[in-house]
Amino acid sequence: MIRTLLWILAGLLLGGIIHIVVILSLPLFATHDVWSRITELRATDKAVVLPAATPGAPNPLRLDPEMTYAVCQLDLEFGPGVVNAVMPNAFWSVAIYNRSGAVIYSTTNRDGIGQTLDLGIFNPAQTRLLAEQQLDVNEGLLIVESQSDDVFVVVRLAPPQPAMRKRYEAALGQIFCGNFR
Amino acid sequence: MLTVALGVGFGLSYFALTDARPIGALQVGPWSAWPDAGSATPDPYTRAYLARTGALELGLSEGLQFLAVNDSAGRPLDRACRYRIEGATPVASFWTLVALDLQGVNIARPDGLAAVHSARVARSQSGIARFYVSRGLAPYTWLEITGDGPFSLALTLYDVSIVGGAGSTVVDLPEIVQEGCA
Repeated sequence: MIRTLLWILAGLLLGGIIHIVVILSLPLFATHDVWSRITELRATDKAVVLPAATPGAPNPLRLDPEMTYAVCQLDLEFGPGVVNAVMPNAFWSVAIYNRSGAVIYSTTNRDGIGQTLDLGIFNPAQTRLLAEQQLDVNEGLLIVESQSDDVFVVVRLAPPQPAMRKRYEAALGQIFCGNFR
Repeated sequence: MLTVALGVGFGLSYFALTDARPIGALQVGPWSAWPDAGSATPDPYTRAYLARTGALELGLSEGLQFLAVNDSAGRPLDRACRYRIEGATPVASFWTLVALDLQGVNIARPDGLAAVHSARVARSQSGIARFYVSRGLAPYTWLEITGDGPFSLALTLYDVSIVGGAGSTVVDLPEIVQEGCA
């Protein structure tokens, strides 16, 4: 009796260990994570407007059909990342993701930046250069520090009416995104 | 022993990543959200969840998405039934609601409304949004869905400050009331 209980207890302990290993190792083995999906879009150093999420079509990125999206992938190894645009007068937001799909920084147009999106993304070494004033940046640049070099930026823009979608997608396509040299 | 170990280990992991409402999720009535998914330093469970879903999560300052798989009475959402969704929403710039199947595909009628938008929804005299999700004709704002079987509802609140600051505040979210099934 006691022996059986001990076996079950040992099984539970081993199960706990398996659970922890699975949870911690899952991000390493994921093949359909958001980074690989964004890489397939070939959005390196340019803003790519995502197709609208229509009913009935697969939607792996879980996009909102009422929103328009632009993504841009950056490698900070080649210099700080810059995202620059004048946005239409509607709700928009910007988020910077790291390789694991976590949002390292996000903000909206209601945080007092109005219609001008002017964002600089710096890795720790570049942040140090910035602090030493060895990098010359524009006044009012929104400065974000990223711990890793692989990042992607998503700009979400909300057309007030569906009829305005085309114009808003065109505006998203005009976003400058690339490395600052 | 091995059976118990494998069962507990993988079972618990699967549960934690699919229906993990007790772990880390914010639960309001039938709605649940995963606020940690939009944070800069997600915990291991959230990291595994992000890797598994592979979706573009909203940053914490951009908004928050709530998912419902049950109605307010706790019954699973079924496309054969008509649902009235009514109630106050937290202060946000706007919100959208979509009906999804279990793979995340939008199940609205292809040439109809794809989503309910807070700026284009019928409201009662007190200003509360009221709309219907069903296959059959419904009054007020009607999100017409197609197909059979279970589905889920995703309510996305943009520019909302539910989880801003130290603690999360209690929020009001609409009720999902089943009004009979076909």
